[in-house]
Amino acid sequence: MTTAVVTGSARGIGAQIAARLGADGHRLVLVDMAPALADTALELEDAGVDVVAVQADLTQDAGISSVVEHAGTDVAVIVNNAGITRDARLVNMSEADFEAVLGVNLGAAYRLTQALIPALAPSASIVNIASRAYLGNFGQFNYSMSKGGIVGMTRAFALELAPAVRVNAVAPGLIGTEMALGIPEEILTRMISAIPLGRMGDPAEVGELVAFLASQRSSYITGQVIVIGGGRSFT
Amino acid sequence: MPDFGWPSGWWLRYRPATMTRRVPQEWNDDFPDGPGLVFVATARLPDWPTVAGTLRDAYECSKETAGKGESIVYVVHNDDLLGRRGAPAAMVATGLLSAGRTLALEVAKQGASVNVVAIEDDTPVGDVARWCDVLLHGATPTGELIHLGRGHIGKALA
Repeated sequence: MTTAVVTGSARGIGAQIAARLGADGHRLVLVDMAPALADTALELEDAGVDVVAVQADLTQDAGISSVVEHAGTDVAVIVNNAGITRDARLVNMSEADFEAVLGVNLGAAYRLTQALIPALAPSASIVNIASRAYLGNFGQFNYSMSKGGIVGMTRAFALELAPAVRVNAVAPGLIGTEMALGIPEEILTRMISAIPLGRMGDPAEVGELVAFLASQRSSYITGQVIVIGGGRSFT
Repeated sequence: MPDFGWPSGWWLRYRPATMTRRVPQEWNDDFPDGPGLVFVATARLPDWPTVAGTLRDAYECSKETAGKGESIVYVVHNDDLLGRRGAPAAMVATGLLSAGRTLALEVAKQGASVNVVAIEDDTPVGDVARWCDVLLHGATPTGELIHLGRGHIGKALA
């Protein structure tokens, strides 16, 4: 049984990605700082998935080491999904908020990937979760920078690790996570009205795309960024 | 205008009097002080700490410049936009491109612009200076990526 490491998998998009990869038969190493990770792991175990939950801070060396230790030596899939937001216009953005977002969204993804490279199985696949915000989004200088960085990291690792390993990125737009559903209704309605497909995405739809990129069904795709945003990139 | 290769080492020269130019020291004659920020990030980088340091520096300079309502040009290497010189440099180049697009939205009402210029190994520094001068002195274009060279043709969109 091969292993899939999924960061930021306590809830939302990460939990759906984990569930989808579990359904494909991977042993899962779930990683998150949130205590809710234990509940997500239990749910998957009840569904018959082999799961290890690692509660870790990936901005720290100890957190990276803990994941590497639990991942073993047959890692077929890495999904770098862990991310946070600290939104503000740049002129009002604190250094702490800037560094927190860069450290979690980009630094942790880069350092974890590097640490897991020796453990990758032949024909492994790495899927990095970027964001539609890499195209630019008001009030998200730090977040856009981090997700843009993910795009560059994806391309560089795709070249560096080819031909054995494929590396791609997924850039979600507005997805119906707890965070999105917490947006005031009037604003959310306006945001949805700008989406050609007329709705938010479902976290399971992101999970489906990640599962495709993680599998051999996408065996000739590497170094790409796929926006999953209902066509919002054109409006 | 001098025409020479791009330095591969660290490029920063802190100029606290203005903080308006972050260019290789030897280019200072081509990039005179003035309003606006030119931030050059074309060096190969070895690891995450240097990436974090470069992006933090860009954040600080950009925040100060945006606060003054002035325009910004980030200069990156085309090979880094494509990920061809390693992940650290790629993360900086594409990170600046994305951050620049976001900041272009934020400063638009002030009449300022934010753009990215992508250079190649043999791009004459004078060409870079001229483009930066044009981009710093007008609100349009903004949020754009301008390639000085032809290495991007037929490659991935950034």
